[in-house]
Amino acid sequence: MESLLQHFERFSEVLAVSRTTHVRTWDPATVRRALQWARYLRHVHRRFGRHARIRMALERRLQNQWRLEGGSGSSPVPGLTNFQALERCDLLLSLRLLENRALGDAAYHYLLQELFPGPGVPDADPETLQGSLARLARCRSAVHLLRLSGYGENSVLEEDSVLKTQAELLLARLREVPKAEAEGPSRFLSILWERLPQNNFLKVIAAALLLPPSSPRPQEEELEPGTPKTLADGDQELVRWLLTKSDAMAAFCRNLPAGLLTSVAGRHPELSRVYLGLLLDWARHLHYDLQKGIWIGTEFQHVPWEELYGKFQSLCQAPPPLKDDVLAALESCKAKDGDFQVRGLSIWTDLLLALGCGS
Amino acid sequence: MAQDSVGFSSDYQFWMQKLSLWDQASTLETQKDTCLHLPRFQEFLRQMYEVLKEMDSNMIIERFPTIGQLLAKTCWNPFILAFDESQKILLWCLCCLINKEPQNSEELKLNSWTRGLLSHVLSAFKFDTKEVGLFIQGLGYAPADYYPGLLKNMVLSLVSELRENHLNGFNTQRRMAPEKIRFLSRVCVPLVTLPDIQPLVEALLTYHGHEPQEVLWPEFFDAVNEAFLLKKISLPTSAVICLWLRHLPSLEKATLHLFEKLISSERNFLRRIECFLKDSLLPEAACYPAIFRIVDEMFRYALLETDGAPEVLAAIQVFTWCFVEALEKQNKQLKFTLKTYFPYASPSLVMVLLQHPKDIPQKLWHQPLKHISEMLREIVEDQTHGSYGGPFECWFLFIHFGGWADIAAEQLVMSEAEPPEALLWLLAFSHSPRDRSQQRAQTMVEVKAVLSHLKKLLRSPTLSARDLQAAAAESQDRDPRPPSCQQLIRHLLLNFLLWAPGGHAIAREVITLMAPTDELSHEIAGFLDQTLYRWDRLCLEAPRSRKLARELLAELHAHIQHRPAAHGAAVHATGSPRSRDETMRLIHRGTSSEDEP
Repeated sequence: MESLLQHFERFSEVLAVSRTTHVRTWDPATVRRALQWARYLRHVHRRFGRHARIRMALERRLQNQWRLEGGSGSSPVPGLTNFQALERCDLLLSLRLLENRALGDAAYHYLLQELFPGPGVPDADPETLQGSLARLARCRSAVHLLRLSGYGENSVLEEDSVLKTQAELLLARLREVPKAEAEGPSRFLSILWERLPQNNFLKVIAAALLLPPSSPRPQEEELEPGTPKTLADGDQELVRWLLTKSDAMAAFCRNLPAGLLTSVAGRHPELSRVYLGLLLDWARHLHYDLQKGIWIGTEFQHVPWEELYGKFQSLCQAPPPLKDDVLAALESCKAKDGDFQVRGLSIWTDLLLALGCGS
Repeated sequence: MAQDSVGFSSDYQFWMQKLSLWDQASTLETQKDTCLHLPRFQEFLRQMYEVLKEMDSNMIIERFPTIGQLLAKTCWNPFILAFDESQKILLWCLCCLINKEPQNSEELKLNSWTRGLLSHVLSAFKFDTKEVGLFIQGLGYAPADYYPGLLKNMVLSLVSELRENHLNGFNTQRRMAPEKIRFLSRVCVPLVTLPDIQPLVEALLTYHGHEPQEVLWPEFFDAVNEAFLLKKISLPTSAVICLWLRHLPSLEKATLHLFEKLISSERNFLRRIECFLKDSLLPEAACYPAIFRIVDEMFRYALLETDGAPEVLAAIQVFTWCFVEALEKQNKQLKFTLKTYFPYASPSLVMVLLQHPKDIPQKLWHQPLKHISEMLREIVEDQTHGSYGGPFECWFLFIHFGGWADIAAEQLVMSEAEPPEALLWLLAFSHSPRDRSQQRAQTMVEVKAVLSHLKKLLRSPTLSARDLQAAAAESQDRDPRPPSCQQLIRHLLLNFLLWAPGGHAIAREVITLMAPTDELSHEIAGFLDQTLYRWDRLCLEAPRSRKLARELLAELHAHIQHRPAAHGAAVHATGSPRSRDETMRLIHRGTSSEDEP
């Protein structure tokens, strides 16, 4: 068991190195050893797939490592995150090496011979690397060809697919984050928030929150006896994180398109409450400019009227109870303000009038 | 060897030109042309690899100075990369170019360039945007995780757009433009065997737009049909039926493909024929009259061209069984009148023929038999009754339900009574439709004579093979029996052997006497197989007869196996053997489609 775990660690190192220029020093023998290790670990995956004890021990070791490294290094996620990842560790290693320009010619030549033996070789392994790599190349051509089909006219749909795929990957990763501590996922998300392009990240979160309720978990992820019972679903983690991270939530509500936000609010009532609260807050910062006859903010970061109006308008087109909650909140604010009927005195009145719901 | 290399060189030139013409296949013309040549180009790549793998990098450059260009242009054509195994073979070829110990700057440059191409093929068309790339990598994922998922989602979104299109009808905003749908069908041609694309293929096949003309590309139907026939794609039956309804050549190819399988399969195994038929989905598809008529037409050609080959007859019969079964299952959904399936036949005749003998008590089988015989006779003998086709049409219709003729023969042999005229006529007609009434009358007389002999023997306590031979003997003072009549008599004898109590003991001896040649052995084996198959379908008990039939059949098969010369021969109506290939050639000739290149 111990030797197995050592193999594991050594291979994780190899995997990490395979992306760096350090491979310049590798010769064909090194490549051979690395591939052998990868093959061995794949064999381990096949052999011990059903042995809960070994799986758990390995996973625990991996999660410890993740926790220790937690955010250091070039990626917040280690190369191997769980037992499942062993199934494709040779593919992962091969692709990294193939794309690494620092790998010497002799080593590269050896690698190619190993990966692409040609037609005559009987496939002892049903899922050979050769087959997987060829399939990957074919898959990418397929994506390219489908894109050529004039997706441009309807780029919204394509963007949706790209976002949806990223969202699925995000949720998959969240499921793997060290579960021993309850804040694992939140910490992970915060790290991502700091490192990744934020606009894209927010859109992906929105897409994740709108994914259809739940796809059945793959069989390998059965709950094991040690895990805490409060295993929340990925999107619950996202909601929880947004609620605790106010700057992210503010950016979320500010930067994303109104329609998207309305859909998300419709699905997640806890978020809709905070969203509404933010909108009301932002509205309070505006004051009426008598000369221009419009509501404006005093400072640069205040949300302008058009934007606010746009978001409220979208919310009012949502199905109940969201629409009703929003209108009720506006009415209540208007009443507290003095229940004015005339424009220019209370922003709530003006909003309601503009929305066509004022009385 | 020299000839090979000359051939290869000219191929090389040819493909080099083509690739230059296609460039990145961004126009309609180049896409069409590329798709047409995909399989042949893949073959060329394979040959190229065989040549390249024997040489080292420098030799390759010397021998094929423009190989770099050829491979690069291939890499940049997405249609080629998407097709079947082309990307794999291309990778092999590129690997051959890598030099493991480059000596000079030129070799280094070549290596670097080749590595770039390899990288392009494997990681072609990098991440869409930088942001997406950063996101995926930030999560610790690789393109290998991203692209399969992206493909799946794109296919899902296209499928739902196509379906919504269908439902939304005139909502022009959501409608997918016909050009886009057409383009999608073009793009699916190289991708047809990729499992992830299958939902899109299905959605395209079942898409019914509002345009008056077919919006999908014809080569798309061809590619899907090919893949389906070679079992490289799995589609639901409804999608395959849509394919055939929309594209006639595909239906014809599918039927020809079935014929090839039937002709080349082991003879005399109706169960196997049934499996092939059900597998091909044609009986189910034939519930649509348009499809039924076309398939039936092709069967008709096959029958005519092979002059009534027994395999074709058997195939028609089994096809009809399967078709009727499928029709019964469909009963709630499709409602076509019988006339749409058999427009040239008398509806009442068809109704009687369609009856399942299982639904009628065995004792009463002579009733529908008589009815059928009378109706057929009326049509055949009445010259003025032109609307129901001549004797051939009648006969062709009848042999679809050929089981009735076999039942008639059984009934005649088993019953103690005088053989009814109607049944005699029916048997004579089914074995020899082209006879004139005089010839037929003659046949009926002969058969009646043999039957009366057999009835005497039925009651005889000691039965010998000689007795049977005598019963069937031709009378010396008349013209020799024509072959079809001989065959009829043989079948009656065989029936007798199966049913008569004393028949079992002498069966083998009689058969040895009856079957001196291989063709006759085949014929008798065919008869036995057909009889057993029919008994199964009718759920007929008769354990002793069954046992005997099975044993005889097994023995005949063993006997036939030992005679390789006759193996796989199709029997001509007059008894001379014909090879499988010849049979298929005849069928192809009869059913040739106009679109030969």
